[in-house]
Amino acid sequence: MNNKLKNILWPLAFGIGFILIWELGYLHEVLDLRPFQLPIPSQIMTTLYNNLPKVLKDGGVTVIGALIGLTIGSFFGFMIAFLATWFPKWGYGGMIVVTALNAVPIVALSPIMNLWFTTGMAQKIGVVTVVCMAAMAINAYSGLNNLKAFSLDLMETVAADKWVVFRKLRLPNALPNVFTALKINIAASIIAAIISEYFAASTSGLGFGIKDHLRKAEMAMGWSYIVVASLVGVVLYAIIILVERDAIKWHASQR
Amino acid sequence: MVITKKERRMVAFVWFTSIFVLLEVLAFFLMFVMKDTMAAAKLPFPHTIFIVFVNNWRSLLEAGVITFSRAAIGFGIGAGVGIFLAVIMSLSKTAEKIAFPYLIMSQMIPVLGLAPIIFNIVRDMNLSRIIIAAYITFFPVSVNMLSGLKSVEQDKKDLLYSIATSKFEVYRKLMFPFSMSYLFTGLKIAAPMAVTASILVDMLGSRGGIGVRILYSLYSNTTDIFWASVMTSALMGIFSFYVIVIAENLLLPWRRGASKKDGEKV
Repeated sequence: MNNKLKNILWPLAFGIGFILIWELGYLHEVLDLRPFQLPIPSQIMTTLYNNLPKVLKDGGVTVIGALIGLTIGSFFGFMIAFLATWFPKWGYGGMIVVTALNAVPIVALSPIMNLWFTTGMAQKIGVVTVVCMAAMAINAYSGLNNLKAFSLDLMETVAADKWVVFRKLRLPNALPNVFTALKINIAASIIAAIISEYFAASTSGLGFGIKDHLRKAEMAMGWSYIVVASLVGVVLYAIIILVERDAIKWHASQR
Repeated sequence: MVITKKERRMVAFVWFTSIFVLLEVLAFFLMFVMKDTMAAAKLPFPHTIFIVFVNNWRSLLEAGVITFSRAAIGFGIGAGVGIFLAVIMSLSKTAEKIAFPYLIMSQMIPVLGLAPIIFNIVRDMNLSRIIIAAYITFFPVSVNMLSGLKSVEQDKKDLLYSIATSKFEVYRKLMFPFSMSYLFTGLKIAAPMAVTASILVDMLGSRGGIGVRILYSLYSNTTDIFWASVMTSALMGIFSFYVIVIAENLLLPWRRGASKKDGEKV
């Protein structure tokens, strides 16, 4: 048995074992739960299959909002990092502000965005944008500035101007950090979008679906939404990793 | 280009002052120029928020303490589980192979989205606050701790083995002290997240806590309290981060000032 196969088989066996224990009701015995509190996997799957169109529609709403917010937020975050690099002395203060923003609990933002935007979509995009901005700004800033000591000297020796230094040295150096931020933001944007839907006035999206079905005590349906939300996260994450592999082939982490 | 400490303080001061002034101007504009009827709710004057905050600090603090203490318990449990998992994974390759993919997958589950479901299962507000804060904390802690344990140089381990040191002693004298700074990186990431989780659980139907204050004041149209509550929750997040920074300086004297030094190179 070679190592590659082992790497896949071990976790797989463990996972199948766990799902079996859950399916056969041992989990409920240990945690002292009733099936209506925690549905078994087969029940969740059946419910999901029967309501697929509705769940997918709601999932689409959330994902579109999350992706638009992710794009806007990451763009602004990168611009902040760019400006902070361009004007080091005053830009540094801007980075302090962004870091402080990062510590602000996102949930507090949702009601505020409700006041500013009337539609559920705009409110969702607003929350996701703010959440994604900070992670990108902080990561990109460290990538644009933590250069190898001699590389900047070399650039100065050949009298490269600021713009050339940025394009040929800082930007490639920041790419791995940018991808790190994107990976963080993928998960964060989906979560932020779902949370914003808990408090939004709109009646669509995964967050609303979860809240609504739990209120009606339809646990299996609520879990179906969670399954879809997780799958979406996994798929988007996989896409980012593939793009990253292509974009920074030269980087040590890819070898 | 190196920036002195004094200059830095000035830069930060100028930034925060200008943001404050900008918000004042924007609020004024919204209220008296645009004549927005919702102006007080959309963007109140920062000084009003501050006054309300000072006037109501006691009740805000009480609400904050309820939320914060639950977050702290969950944070402690999550950190413990995370450290334990990291040690197990560093001891056994098989355990790492089994656990690591699941660590990554566990983060794909939008756990804050699970908040209502967990509440439905345990039917207890405080317990669900603790569970969710713990769940959110354990991942960054265990991943950072594991990378710390793995980055101990082989020579050092070999030296200890060559003088017949037991496995336990190797961990106690070399691995743990070495990976502490990695652990604190994880803790710094996790602390504000745990606070966020606790506030969210508040908002989903708790009795007390800062999240309840936020929602209640929002729906009862007492907007000044609403903004003061939001400010409190923001301060809680920042506070939790600095608690970890201070703890790091106390517990790891050899790292003192290192977190500052990291940002020294501009």
